[in-house]
Amino acid sequence: MIDARLHISGLHCSFRGTDGDRIEAIRDIDLSLRPNEFVSIIGPSGCGKSTLFNAIAGLLHPDTGTILLDGRDIVGQPGHVAYMMQRDLLLDWRTVLQNVTLGPELAGAPLKEARAHARMLLKRFNLEGFEDAYPSMLSGGMRQRAALLRTILCERPVILLDEPFGALDALTRASLHEWLLGIQREFRRTMILITHDPEEAVFLSDRVYVSTPRPMRIAGVVDIDLPRDRTHEVKLSPEFAEHERQVLALLRSEMPPEAVDSGVRLQ
Amino acid sequence: MRRTRDILAPLILVALVLIGWEAAVHLFSIQAYVLPAPTRIAQVLVSDGRRIIFPQLGITLFEILSGYALAIAVAFVLSVLIVYSNAFRRGVLPLIVASQTIPVIAIAPVLVIWFGYNSIPRIIITAIVAFFPLTVAVVTGLQAVDPLQLAFFRTLKATPVQVFFKLRFPIALPNIFAGLKVAATLAVVGATISEWVGASSGLGYLIAQDTQQLNTARVFAGLVVLGVCGMTLFGIVSLVQRLCMPWAYARPRFRRQKERIPVPQNAAVSLPSAAAGTGS
Repeated sequence: MIDARLHISGLHCSFRGTDGDRIEAIRDIDLSLRPNEFVSIIGPSGCGKSTLFNAIAGLLHPDTGTILLDGRDIVGQPGHVAYMMQRDLLLDWRTVLQNVTLGPELAGAPLKEARAHARMLLKRFNLEGFEDAYPSMLSGGMRQRAALLRTILCERPVILLDEPFGALDALTRASLHEWLLGIQREFRRTMILITHDPEEAVFLSDRVYVSTPRPMRIAGVVDIDLPRDRTHEVKLSPEFAEHERQVLALLRSEMPPEAVDSGVRLQ
Repeated sequence: MRRTRDILAPLILVALVLIGWEAAVHLFSIQAYVLPAPTRIAQVLVSDGRRIIFPQLGITLFEILSGYALAIAVAFVLSVLIVYSNAFRRGVLPLIVASQTIPVIAIAPVLVIWFGYNSIPRIIITAIVAFFPLTVAVVTGLQAVDPLQLAFFRTLKATPVQVFFKLRFPIALPNIFAGLKVAATLAVVGATISEWVGASSGLGYLIAQDTQQLNTARVFAGLVVLGVCGMTLFGIVSLVQRLCMPWAYARPRFRRQKERIPVPQNAAVSLPSAAAGTGS
């Protein structure tokens, strides 16, 4: 794919387990994202999705495979994509404003401009009036929005989101979904989301990759054929239900049969 | 309300102890050289304070502060080496631990032979007593960083210097201040005992002299002054901590509301205990 923003092919990852054996985490993954696409990866927990993100972020070296960002090889090189991890990882000793400008600060960019830029965006992230608050003063949703603003301000074309809403309650999560879509369109970023939640995956994505249990492979892809401007009402449409059913069917087909029979939940 | 109670409680306790002590001395006619009454100690503080005790305190205070500063400098250098160098940690850390089993008072005469009859051996002894718990605290603090935080800083292409100053050091601050507080009180102890060997001045020397001459009231007066010294130093460190770590004292603006189970109207009548329970 020539016009791909991020192109991953033939990716294999393994690491040494505690007993010295090599554990295969990822087996032959191909992924391709066009600019400004929103793609989700959904799969059972512990399937190696975080390993995939660590490989894309350059934190670990895959055994084989290529990762191209705008045609450039970025294997094993941190700093090319922005990575929002499971926990918000806000620094307790910094105010919201100091936290969100961490990226430009570490890159040696002029702080004054970075702060001015961040101040402008605080309102869009519903953090107006909290620029001088410490993270301990914020609610869970506000912390996640601050973490996302920090990720946006890193000015990277691709953003990896590792279950950013996992720790939030259902109401906060639902309200953040619509908002996140708006942010993604507005700031024109290519986003990959890891999630356990089929509804979240279908609602946010242009495409959903369903992965197998470890070692992680792509079991199937569901193209989400919904208008890009979505509100939460789309969740009530038959098309939405059909996409969710497809995702669930793919997930079930890859689960051990006894887990499905006994009604074990996908966490 | 709570603050005044926090201050008042120890004051009342001290007052009660002093009254009991005073009463016991008079009731059992205890000799002043065995146990002087608090009023007698206060008398000595007034009569000998400005003339004898405070000039000696000045000398000891200089040793306390110099030794404390030296301990801080040594502890930070050692901690960074221990955290960043495996070879140093394996080779030198056991020696530092072993050095702590040697009584300082035993090496004091050697230090006097090396550095002479001046304040240098005493400052070194003060530092030896104070640096170890501080080093342990700083190392613990610098290693308290979350691996996920380190990975996150790597994705931002942070340099090792940035990781130290913008991540490891701020995370270490609570531990560092805990160590600084322990070291502050130990510096007072260290400076006092350093004057027991090869010294001819200082509050520790005065206390040692007065003990030999059975001037027990002035021994106690000296101890009171040292106690106030230690508490003041401790208080100053606490104050600096408050100034350096404003986030640790910030109040949450958006506290999660206390979970409250709605009790139906009729249920409230039948379950008065449950309704009362939610109110507390």
